[in-house]
Amino acid sequence: MQLDVLSRDLRPLDASGGPTAVVLTVLGDLDMAGAPSLRQAVVTVVDSGARLVVLDLTAVDFVDSAGLGVVVGALRRLRTHDGDLVVVCPEPRIRRVFEMCDLDRVFALHRDVDAAATAMAGRALA
Amino acid sequence: MNEVPVAGIELTVPPHPEFLQLVRAVVGAAAVSGGGTESPLEPGRVADLRLVVSEAVTNAIEAQSAIGAPDRVLIRCRVGDDKVLVEVMDHGPGFDPDAVPDLPDVETPERLRHESGLGVALMHRLADKAEVESGPDGTTVRLTIRPS
Repeated sequence: MQLDVLSRDLRPLDASGGPTAVVLTVLGDLDMAGAPSLRQAVVTVVDSGARLVVLDLTAVDFVDSAGLGVVVGALRRLRTHDGDLVVVCPEPRIRRVFEMCDLDRVFALHRDVDAAATAMAGRALA
Repeated sequence: MNEVPVAGIELTVPPHPEFLQLVRAVVGAAAVSGGGTESPLEPGRVADLRLVVSEAVTNAIEAQSAIGAPDRVLIRCRVGDDKVLVEVMDHGPGFDPDAVPDLPDVETPERLRHESGLGVALMHRLADKAEVESGPDGTTVRLTIRPS
């Protein structure tokens, strides 16, 4: 298996029990072969009502432009539903691909899920 | 490829995305092993090599899928003393490399409508040399990677 996507709910983003984010953890190679799995996972969580998604790429071994395209599509899908997406990307060689395509100007790239959740909570409460 | 290579590999794969990982692994291993001699590339440049090869083969697969061409995609990798050369040849319908449109500015909402179009730019950015020959019988991409 080249790519797997695990989904779990994140704790409520604020003490009042406000919006809950979904974490999508991606494992494997995010390329043309793996892209459909991630695309389907995003469709599934958005269809189930999620509007805030943390995309965790910590366990991604490889990403290319086809993989980045799916991440762009995921952000578009969420924003269409008044949602948002943040990315966890601690690995320099994966982060570098985002930077080379200037997509670090589109996505907030965080070092871990806690940092991403904190940033997302700030947006949700704004 | 004008210079005699130290070592090299050649493989053909069916035009299916499931073979991308294999291509990256084989080309990356060839560059690392250097055919028994010391590799000309440091690990970061091997990662760049794997990325540009993935982009080239992805484009080849897409091109052949567009016309339903079942021919295998050919990948040649030659490891020299100071560089790695890769050729990717497909049997797609060809395209005009000079007519690839630029993407909208990354900070505009319009940019989010484009999920593709970054591959050729990445190849030109990461490879020391990226040549594209394209015609109605297919496309050949030649990539040169040198140490950084």
